[in-house]
Amino acid sequence: MEDLLARYGFLIVTILQQALLGLSLYFPLMTGQLSLASIGFYSLGGYVAAVMGTHPALAPLREALGFSMYPLEWLVALLASSILGVVLGYPALRLRGIYLALATIAFVQILGVLALNMPITGGAIGIFDIPQPFESRLAYAWFFGPLLALTLFFLWRLERSGTGRLFFSIRENELAAGAMGVNVTARKVQAFVIGCALAGVVGAMSAPLLNTWNTRQGTFDAAVACLAYVLIGGARSKWGALLGAALLVSLPELLRPLKDSRMILDGLVLVLVCVYMPRGIAGLFDRRRA
Amino acid sequence: MPLAWFLQNLVNGLSIGSVYAVFALGYTLVFSVLGILNFAHAAVFTLGAYLTYVLAVGEFGLNGLLAGATMPFKLPFALALLAGAVLSGLAGMAVEYLAFRPLRKRGADALLALVSSLGVALILVNLIQYLFGAEIYSFPPDVLGSLPPAILFHVGEGMVAMRTIQAVLFGVSLLLLIGLVWFIQFTKQGKALRAVAENPDTASLLGISVDTFTLGTFFLSGLLGGMSGTLIGVSFGLSGPYFGVAYGLKALAVIVLGGLGSIPGTVLGGLVIGLAEAFLPPELSSYKEAVAYALLFAVLLARPQGLLGKSAEEKV
Repeated sequence: MEDLLARYGFLIVTILQQALLGLSLYFPLMTGQLSLASIGFYSLGGYVAAVMGTHPALAPLREALGFSMYPLEWLVALLASSILGVVLGYPALRLRGIYLALATIAFVQILGVLALNMPITGGAIGIFDIPQPFESRLAYAWFFGPLLALTLFFLWRLERSGTGRLFFSIRENELAAGAMGVNVTARKVQAFVIGCALAGVVGAMSAPLLNTWNTRQGTFDAAVACLAYVLIGGARSKWGALLGAALLVSLPELLRPLKDSRMILDGLVLVLVCVYMPRGIAGLFDRRRA
Repeated sequence: MPLAWFLQNLVNGLSIGSVYAVFALGYTLVFSVLGILNFAHAAVFTLGAYLTYVLAVGEFGLNGLLAGATMPFKLPFALALLAGAVLSGLAGMAVEYLAFRPLRKRGADALLALVSSLGVALILVNLIQYLFGAEIYSFPPDVLGSLPPAILFHVGEGMVAMRTIQAVLFGVSLLLLIGLVWFIQFTKQGKALRAVAENPDTASLLGISVDTFTLGTFFLSGLLGGMSGTLIGVSFGLSGPYFGVAYGLKALAVIVLGGLGSIPGTVLGGLVIGLAEAFLPPELSSYKEAVAYALLFAVLLARPQGLLGKSAEEKV
């Protein structure tokens, strides 16, 4: 058992982390909006934690706070992501359809160019030697595990609350929801910002895990991967992101014997699931199938 | 503002901008017929560049599955460009068969089509990596035959250099644009295509096979994608199987800037972004990659339907 955990520790932690990123896209999807922004906020949160963890000017603060420095980093990442989420969300969410996806792709790209050019983010090299609270990688499950549980509990409550029902009403029919007096834009921004804040915190937790942070953390491919978790797992269920992340993160490990051709199969799985399992893995368990 | 400096940037901007426009038209064609963005278009762009490379140069690199293999023949560049583009068009048709048609037949969510096209893109890009390796390919300098590498013009006291490849980029793009507009506006098939884009149900009632014309649209889209991939590849080299991704994202900015689904808008958007990149002051050159996206944001804020787009009608 110990052996197994040591061997697959990183895999397990990665699944938890990626599932959280997938969930950060589930929030805007609750209102029917497709966003690819999470990876940008993940990258932003990571930079916040990396700068706070390594900047010499903050050394006294780190000494004084000890372990509490990490929750402080999460908080700062959460605030920064939320503010930026509102700034990005308002103009983009006034529009319908594909525009949000395109605006968020543009946002991720701009953030990447900025990170490459700013001195504080370390340019192309990035930031090294981010302090690590745990020695084993599996121990980071103490970061991601509770956050995942908390997020799922929050979603369970949200789906039963008035706010959650408003979100779903927009997903089912935006015009009808608007006609019923739902402030469509405000609700969409609300759902979007919750997702942004979550992605920011996940980024802040991931910087110590990876020990180094650079622009490769925020690529278009990673953004697509997050979206794939949700859609493969099931875009209409809060469990979808977890199921999708578990499948897609472990798939390369399972296909390791195939070496270079495994990414081809990865793409094939993506296509086949879309064609044959349109409601995702979670859809298979849904008794109220349409 | 010295005239030579202005003309030089104009030449640079127009040549790259016209290729952006041709590439982005591939997205526009599919979008105007299906209302969906084909995310595999960037992979077809990459594929076109690699295919033309193999046909024109006849050699493979060192670390793919086909390492060290040589083709039994070499085509002249113009012919290889055409053949590569036609093969890319066929790849575009395969994308429609694999990623779009099965979902459309079932009336699935548009988001799923987006993801399945991303899946096909993943397959294509990794297939290229598997066969060609991840290394950099660049076309040999004599690929254009005995043409001089650049032509110099004297303008006042300054000089304007037009690289031959820039002239090729602009010339080929212009021919493609003219051909496309002629096809869509003045042929019977083009008229049918416009009918399908306007309303597929009505078009099929009038005896137009929607499936055939959708397939044809994907062929045209792939053709434009593969051709522009080669043009960019000849100009800047093929920096690995992922080199199309950055251009693909930039082309998305182009179509939003011009107005989704509008052909003149896409052309204008491509030229605007190409010129904006060319006229960026040199001290900001490290931000060049962000120009297209910054313009996209500006347009989303000020004129969401794009420069030449019609504002979306609300259907109840």
